[in-house]
Amino acid sequence: MIKRLWPRSNGQVNPPSIQPRGGRVRGGGDDTRTGSFPIVRRKPPRTFGSRASRIKALTSLLVAFLCALLGFGYVIQVHNTKSSYEGLSEEELVRLLDETSTQVDKLEERKSQLGEQLRSIQSSADKQQEAARIAKQNQVSSGILSGALPAQGKGVQITIVEGQDRVDAATMFTLLEELRNAGAEVIAINDTRVVTSTYLKDDNHGLVCDGRKLVSPYTIKAIGDPDALQNAVQIAGGVGSRIKVQFHAQVTVEQSNSVRIDEIRRPQRYQYAQTVE
Amino acid sequence: MAAILGLIVGIIAGVFLQPDIPVALQPYLPIMVVAALDALLGAARSYFERSFSDRVFVVSFFSNVVTATLLVFLGNQLGVGSQLSTAVIVVLGIRIFSNVSALRRFIFKG
Repeated sequence: MIKRLWPRSNGQVNPPSIQPRGGRVRGGGDDTRTGSFPIVRRKPPRTFGSRASRIKALTSLLVAFLCALLGFGYVIQVHNTKSSYEGLSEEELVRLLDETSTQVDKLEERKSQLGEQLRSIQSSADKQQEAARIAKQNQVSSGILSGALPAQGKGVQITIVEGQDRVDAATMFTLLEELRNAGAEVIAINDTRVVTSTYLKDDNHGLVCDGRKLVSPYTIKAIGDPDALQNAVQIAGGVGSRIKVQFHAQVTVEQSNSVRIDEIRRPQRYQYAQTVE
Repeated sequence: MAAILGLIVGIIAGVFLQPDIPVALQPYLPIMVVAALDALLGAARSYFERSFSDRVFVVSFFSNVVTATLLVFLGNQLGVGSQLSTAVIVVLGIRIFSNVSALRRFIFKG
């Protein structure tokens, strides 16, 4: 048995009562059943008085104003609902919230991914920078070591003036070795930078160093701890005294705070050797 | 004629002015618009019934709008604002439908 909210009478639902406008309709203004409409009567002939027409103009103006108000409100409301959640139902709001939070999650995820990328890129950039720094360091130190770069620093300048005897290559080599042992970092004889491949040999006319003739006075510049270098040369019974005694040469050692060695040696090209990666 | 003219003027004004409506009025404006629409359709119907009266239209317009607004306001006060506004919308919708069907009968004679 279906219970009805509005009990039916003669099989028709009574709609909410609708009053026809004007209120001058004869015979039951409440009667709005479908199919039964009031009799439309002819318009009564109008009398156009000055007062009546003024009132008519006024009222039509009022009607126009009200309609304008309606249109105005309608447009504003249409414009307003576009950007407002006011009219949404609870489910829609919940769905919107869900969507928004899902989007937030996605964006967070994306953000963390991008952050990860940024970090890895940064760290690789740091690594590259570090590698570049080390390479530069290496370049400097190996440049000094291989004689490709000029160098300056604290050190000694040794001057050897030969007497009648010539200083032989072995003694000069010993002198260089002594300087190296004492910690000389960069050495040059006359115009020749001393590197690992430097050789000294006796010629018929004198000393030859790396294919260049060495002539007295020999000037040996060495960069290192000045005291240690001086001691290495001038130690009692050392190479300095041997040169003095054996070859009757003058040996002077001067300490200096700024020994400048501008002689450089072209780095040799390696034909066979390759670096191991 | 005046009604159509006023409607057009109002829509144009709304499109071009785009004013910010106060927050206090926001929940009532849609109800007011629907109530006014109902009044307008009722007026159109009575116009076709040759029983249109300016005075009645103006009064019904205002009474519709004020009643609808007051009902929603009351609902908001009682905490059943959304339900009551739904009820008002339903009633006004039924009225609009019946007005439109009456208009249809007048225009298409059937």
